[in-house]
Amino acid sequence: MKIILLIFALATQINVLANGGKYMEAMNKNIEAVYKAQTTEELQHAVNAFDRIANAEKTKWEPWYYCAFGYVMMANLEKENSRKDSYLDLASTSVEKAKAIKENESEIMAMEGFIHMIRLTVDPASRGQKYSTLAAQSFENALALNPENPRALMLLAQLQFGTAKFSRSPVTQACGTVTKALEKFDSYKSDNPIAPQWGKQVTEGLKQNCQ
Amino acid sequence: MIKSIFTVLFATLSFCLSAQTKIKGIVKDASGESLPGANVLIKNSYDGTSSASDGTFVIDTEEKGAQTIVATFIGYKAFEQPIELLGKEINLTITLKEEINQLDAVVISAGSFTAGDEKRRTILKAIDIATTAGATADIAGALNTLPGTQKVGESGRLFVRGGTGNETRTFIDGMVVLNAYNPSAPNTPSRGRFLPFMFKGTSFSTGGYSAEYGQALSSALVLNSKDKADANQTDIGLLSVGGDVAHTQVWDKASWTGKVQYTNLNPYMGLIKQRVDWKTAPVSIEGSSAYRQKIGKSGMLKLFGNFNSSSFSLYNHDILDPTIRQPFNLTNNYRYGNATYQTMLNEKWNMRSGLSYNFNQNNVKQGGLPMSETEKGIHAKSVFEHTLSDQVELRLGGEVIDRNYAASRIDTVSKQTQSQSFHELISSFFGEAEMYADKHFVAKTGGRFEYNSLNGQVSVDPRFSMAYKPAKKGQVSLAYGSFRQSAENQYVRVNNLLSPERSEHYILSYQVISERRTFRVETYYKNYFSLVKFINGNPYQLNNSGNGYAKGIEFFWRDGQSIKNVDYWISYSYLDTKRNYLNYPYAAVPTFSSAHNFSFVYKHFITPIKSQIGFTYSYTSGRPYYNPNLSTEKFQSQQTPFYQDLSANISYLPKPSLIIYASCTNLLGRDNVFGYQYSAQQNSSGEYVSQAVRQPATRFLFLGIFLTISKNKSVNQLPNL
Repeated sequence: MKIILLIFALATQINVLANGGKYMEAMNKNIEAVYKAQTTEELQHAVNAFDRIANAEKTKWEPWYYCAFGYVMMANLEKENSRKDSYLDLASTSVEKAKAIKENESEIMAMEGFIHMIRLTVDPASRGQKYSTLAAQSFENALALNPENPRALMLLAQLQFGTAKFSRSPVTQACGTVTKALEKFDSYKSDNPIAPQWGKQVTEGLKQNCQ
Repeated sequence: MIKSIFTVLFATLSFCLSAQTKIKGIVKDASGESLPGANVLIKNSYDGTSSASDGTFVIDTEEKGAQTIVATFIGYKAFEQPIELLGKEINLTITLKEEINQLDAVVISAGSFTAGDEKRRTILKAIDIATTAGATADIAGALNTLPGTQKVGESGRLFVRGGTGNETRTFIDGMVVLNAYNPSAPNTPSRGRFLPFMFKGTSFSTGGYSAEYGQALSSALVLNSKDKADANQTDIGLLSVGGDVAHTQVWDKASWTGKVQYTNLNPYMGLIKQRVDWKTAPVSIEGSSAYRQKIGKSGMLKLFGNFNSSSFSLYNHDILDPTIRQPFNLTNNYRYGNATYQTMLNEKWNMRSGLSYNFNQNNVKQGGLPMSETEKGIHAKSVFEHTLSDQVELRLGGEVIDRNYAASRIDTVSKQTQSQSFHELISSFFGEAEMYADKHFVAKTGGRFEYNSLNGQVSVDPRFSMAYKPAKKGQVSLAYGSFRQSAENQYVRVNNLLSPERSEHYILSYQVISERRTFRVETYYKNYFSLVKFINGNPYQLNNSGNGYAKGIEFFWRDGQSIKNVDYWISYSYLDTKRNYLNYPYAAVPTFSSAHNFSFVYKHFITPIKSQIGFTYSYTSGRPYYNPNLSTEKFQSQQTPFYQDLSANISYLPKPSLIIYASCTNLLGRDNVFGYQYSAQQNSSGEYVSQAVRQPATRFLFLGIFLTISKNKSVNQLPNL
């Protein structure tokens, strides 16, 4: 009888491991795909895959996070404003779902701010005030949860560049944030193997504005 | 025993491995077009794929038994179907239905201009109202550049499609506002009481509006106040005519905004010569307060309060002998408050309820004799919206408007106090159904039932509208409606039994909206019935035998795309109207109407100088007037010269949180004449002497400095200007 129990226990464990392995495998494969994607179609495929994983794994925030990331990238590629907004709506829904699973995650807050910032760019004249405030609040929350988060710093720097450009004021503050973000990209290491990694290249691009 | 268990386990395991099912198929839309990029999956599993560029898909799955296959795609309703996985290949054709509540679906646009809703392709953005040159941040001033309005320079109100200024009613969050304009000296334009910064959206309807809005004969101006604020901030404004301070405090689920404004036109009027002989130019103090509270998941409570106290005094000069002058004083006290609550009752029902209170008192002293006028109003309303399906929406509601009006004056001859008053209670119910056939066709039909306590009348007003959008851009709309509004207070107080005035609108409109360009042409016919009429020309004997009509065609073009950093719009309205009402001897063109109205509004952001500049040019053809020296056959046969104005404004942003603003009207310095007033008596040669009604000053110059203090340094008051 003992042995039977043991076998069952073993079987369940293998099952868990197998599933965990399956999750990590699927995530790693699609994270690579979403980072590499260049076109709306490729992004759509990756986003679809994350959507499927998210629906099967009800306790994981990462698939929803990458879903949101993919939709923001689709919004960036899109030229027509109303379609841009509908991608951003989908990104927001994904972020809300991620937040419902993990409440205080710095990366999710940074993504939320990213979405606000892209919304702003659709119509700066009438959205500037509202969405610059919302984006700044999200980045602030992200940094309060994890001051080491290089993506929150990089996105905040982007917002600061935008503000400086709009008002033609000096970019000193934005450049300070960029330098800090670059430091954190080198030093910060998450213990979550499928944590977001993106953003370093963009930051280096931003650095160009400071020379 | 153990062995057999192993066998069973092993067998099950190998069965699992061998039981792979292949699902093949194609995803299409309703018209048979294949849809690439759709997500096809087996619910609650990892198994699934995206449809290929030809819409086809293949899923290999180890799941078995009863499962659900799901397909989703942006802009389409999710597809779900139970499926039995038995290891045999399955072939599927999935047809996805389009979602109707998409941004590019048809919407009824006949008669209405919507500003705000940041996602819809609206004709105006909320910010446009504030940045239109010549409007000086007055809502009516900006809307006067749209087609359907007739400029009446000496009034400042919205005169729509042959209607008087009184026929346009203002609603805040669905609640009626009884005295929406600040008082102004005779023949000087009045400003709206509510500043554009309070509102996230404005819907200006020039006819054919929803059954929800009653007691408006020509036009409904529906203002939607802002929701909960996002951040704490303090705003300070220093103006050439006064100053204001506002503060916003934000909590987790609530926010509060308070504002105090002081306006004193005396220093300005002292500096720039005025045609009005002011004793004391207008001085006013105004305060407003708005509280927002989120309740539960979807509830929002909004409280708003406003008070305004203003006064001025001037001398009226006799037309025959200008050296004879008579003092005229006016003090106005105004209070407005409303509370609205909106919540989702469940997935299918939405409720909006509100209560508003209006108090308006004018105390006038003319030639030493006091007159006073007080109006108090309470409005209670509830609306229930029910989503029957994604194609049918029902709206049902009821409201009560209770008004108390009293006026008193001292008679010039008898020196006795004369009072007139009335108490009117209007109870109404309205219902409306909006039905989408698909995203190309929508129809809305409804009606409004009213009972008026003063005259005991019961009425039913039908409303109908529809829109058809055959392709992606252009759409045709039609609207019909019957409307009624109680006669103006000054007539109801004379005859409490007067019936409401009535109108009927027929509107046909065509509109093309692309990303940043709009073209619209609209034509209409409007009938007036039961207008107030003086019996034998006696203003103290009134009945409802008046009538009239208005018809016209209007064009609108807006383009924010062709020239970088430039946004402009052009509107033109043609109006043909006549009415026989009040003291008119027969049907004639009323004094406030003009056949041709043209506006050109231009806005340009110039980055190198951190400034936005704007120009507005307006043209209005001559308005009719009656010269009493002519016989009555020549009633309204004379015409004033045309009206013309070129206004400019500039907003300079040296820092994101600081704005320096300047505006000036009538750059061309035209001496506009709005009409003529005639002396009450004939002069020595037996003639009535005329006096032109002109602008109080050729130009109005305005300067302001606006500073915003907030955590986010990029926030400023630009959206409020």
